[in-house]
Amino acid sequence: MSAPLVLLPSDEVPQDHLPTNSSNPLRLGPGLRILSQPSSKGTNHVLTATQAGLLTTDAKRNTVSILSFPNRRYIPTVNDFVIAQIHHSSVDFFHCMVTPHTAHALLGQLSFEGASKKTRPMLKQGELVYARVQSVGVGAGAEVELTCVNPATGKADGGLGPLTGGMVFDVSTGMAARLIRASSSSAENTDAIEGLVVLSELGKKLESLGGFEIAVGRNGKVWVDCSNAAESAVKVTIAIGRCLQETDQQNLHPHDQKKLVTKILRDMKLVS
Amino acid sequence: MFGPIASLSQLNRADGSASYKCPATGYSILGAVNAPIELPARRDALKPEEATVEVFVKPGTTTAGVGERYVEGILRSVLGKIVLGREKGFPRRGVVITLAIVGGENVERGDSYLTILPALLHAALLAMISASVPLSMTFSATLLGVTKSGDIVRDPSPTAAKAAVSLHVFAFSSKNHLLLNESEGRFEFDTWELVRERALSICQGVISSDGDVTMDEGTTSASLNGFIRETVEDQVYSDYAYKLDSI
Amino acid sequence: MSKEAQLSIAERDFILEALRENVRLDGRQPDDYRPLNISFGEEYGHVKLQLGKTNIIVRISAEVTKPREDRPFDGLFNINLELSAMGSPAWENGRTNDIEAYATNTLDRIIRHSNALDTESLCILKGVSCWSIRADVHIIDYDGNITDAACIAIMAGLQHFRRPDAVVRDGRVIVYGVEQRVPVPLNITHKPLSVTFHTFNDSKHVIVDATLKEEQAAEGDLVIGINSAGDVCYLSKYAGAPADAMAIVNKTNVAWEKVKEINAAVDKVLQADLAKRAKIGMADESRAENDRLVQIE
Repeated sequence: MSAPLVLLPSDEVPQDHLPTNSSNPLRLGPGLRILSQPSSKGTNHVLTATQAGLLTTDAKRNTVSILSFPNRRYIPTVNDFVIAQIHHSSVDFFHCMVTPHTAHALLGQLSFEGASKKTRPMLKQGELVYARVQSVGVGAGAEVELTCVNPATGKADGGLGPLTGGMVFDVSTGMAARLIRASSSSAENTDAIEGLVVLSELGKKLESLGGFEIAVGRNGKVWVDCSNAAESAVKVTIAIGRCLQETDQQNLHPHDQKKLVTKILRDMKLVS
Repeated sequence: MFGPIASLSQLNRADGSASYKCPATGYSILGAVNAPIELPARRDALKPEEATVEVFVKPGTTTAGVGERYVEGILRSVLGKIVLGREKGFPRRGVVITLAIVGGENVERGDSYLTILPALLHAALLAMISASVPLSMTFSATLLGVTKSGDIVRDPSPTAAKAAVSLHVFAFSSKNHLLLNESEGRFEFDTWELVRERALSICQGVISSDGDVTMDEGTTSASLNGFIRETVEDQVYSDYAYKLDSI
Repeated sequence: MSKEAQLSIAERDFILEALRENVRLDGRQPDDYRPLNISFGEEYGHVKLQLGKTNIIVRISAEVTKPREDRPFDGLFNINLELSAMGSPAWENGRTNDIEAYATNTLDRIIRHSNALDTESLCILKGVSCWSIRADVHIIDYDGNITDAACIAIMAGLQHFRRPDAVVRDGRVIVYGVEQRVPVPLNITHKPLSVTFHTFNDSKHVIVDATLKEEQAAEGDLVIGINSAGDVCYLSKYAGAPADAMAIVNKTNVAWEKVKEINAAVDKVLQADLAKRAKIGMADESRAENDRLVQIE
């Protein structure tokens, strides 16, 4: 593992930082572009950064990308899970808000598991769905399309579909990405995946109260539902939201995340 | 003389933000960037294939006037050149840059706006980096004044700037392109050439034409480009401390 | 888009449900303000205020001008609040919106119309020249309750500000530079602040210092302008669900307590800052003396 490298726009990616696995073609993540310069020895290809951030590589998947600032606005990318809010509906589509002050994304009226003209969900303005970005279109002004089914299986994999009840909390897009990475990496080493212990800590402490359900949208939204917790549902939900938001805003170290969980649960009078 | 002070991402609502303070001129600027967002009221003015860069300068203790509109025009053209407005999610959207002058004297009506231009440029650049707006390059800018005796002064204070015979603002990209050249007052071409060389050495910290390393910047020997880089790196290191600790 | 994104049904329902249990999203009690943090910049009258995630900068400035024809004995005082896209992406640069008009009006009524700043003391020469004091409010981060936050920041700024000294000699106005004469504080007659309440669940639940999400979920609001002595100088109930008369009386007492608390907190940071300045000033003076000694040698 080479030393961490921070790139600024127009910086070139040094060759020795690229994954050496050559069986797959190299894939570029966000924040990088390829520039070709014709030279005497043929064409020179250089990778340059377009955003500032930490250069990261994944040798297994042969990808290279830039981790830019966590506060940035979310830009829809195919296959991302997002929490979208219904704005209005038309004959064929629900028009949804993925990020505020941008064009609405389209969600087909029938893009739900087992949906037909008769069984499709009737969603009202302000309701939430957990959806997957299906396409972002090509060219300028293209519309973003969402779906609530996995096109391969026709099923609502991963909890896709309308989110009823519960509460959504806003976190930074960087935090949302971290939460998703942490949950998708295998749970063999339970300590500090992506530097996050806050959820596992909450899970341990809240198990006796009925646990909780969570859905993370890459657009910086976290949906939390604790309907199992009966009369303390509201307090448990708020405690989870506060823990996530404070970990995010103060960029807490795993050690401090544990302290925070203890402090907030005591604060909310959930544990003695 | 103290070097500039800057930090990134201190605001919550804006997609990106930065503050920049230049102790020599006394100006302190807060910059915020929202991008990419919809600009419904400007639909007719939008370019079909690219992002539209909008700049708004808000003076600290007066209402914005002609001077602000003028400097906004300069900023828009420089920043518009480095934004990669065709990257995913950006075409037909706006990159809205808001710059508030939160410290330092007001630029009086009729006075030169060049004195504050470098600080505005740096605050805008850092805020765009903080918002992860795709950029083709970074830059740095400096203000130089030529006094009656022909001396070239770096970052003259507002009073010194008023007394100067000519004022010059230069911006150089991280690849040494000349991005901006604004001059005011009377000057010879030879003077301009000297000023340009001096500006390049301030921005890049490069070796001057006669082969000597320029040492006359004293305590602020680090180049401005180096300063921009360090500011960004500091923020990345603190944001990704959790990742770097584990390596 | 000049409107904040709407609250989702889940958020609205949850906020209302939580209030029924007397809890708020950040764990506060209904009558609690968010943590208030005030600091001052280098210049006099430069205030940085944080109220939770609402973040404001106020700058006070002064210039000599001509008094109004109909008020020859009065100086001028204006509050200028212009919302920009910095505070919230929902605010478009260069366009006014409802919040701006509403907040400006409230601040004007509470601070200017109650004569918190004695404008007669700003007169330099009757009908010829006077001071014009200007408060510029910059909302740099918006998370609800800008009226209360701006009110605290403006009042702190007015108390912190020092204008240059000016005298009339032989019918001519002489303004002394800050280096020539010690600048003069403004004449503050009283310290009114606004306390904004929001009501929920048919006015059964009333809270102070709402965040943006709480404001969006509220059914009505009530603004009370009151000073440390308990004089109510402003009361407004513009729109939204009706409020009970008794509730208003009760809430006035809550507001009074809050204003006393906040004014005490402002006083503390103000005194600390002035003490710090006095120290630096003394250090500068002794340094200046040293310089003179060096010159003599």
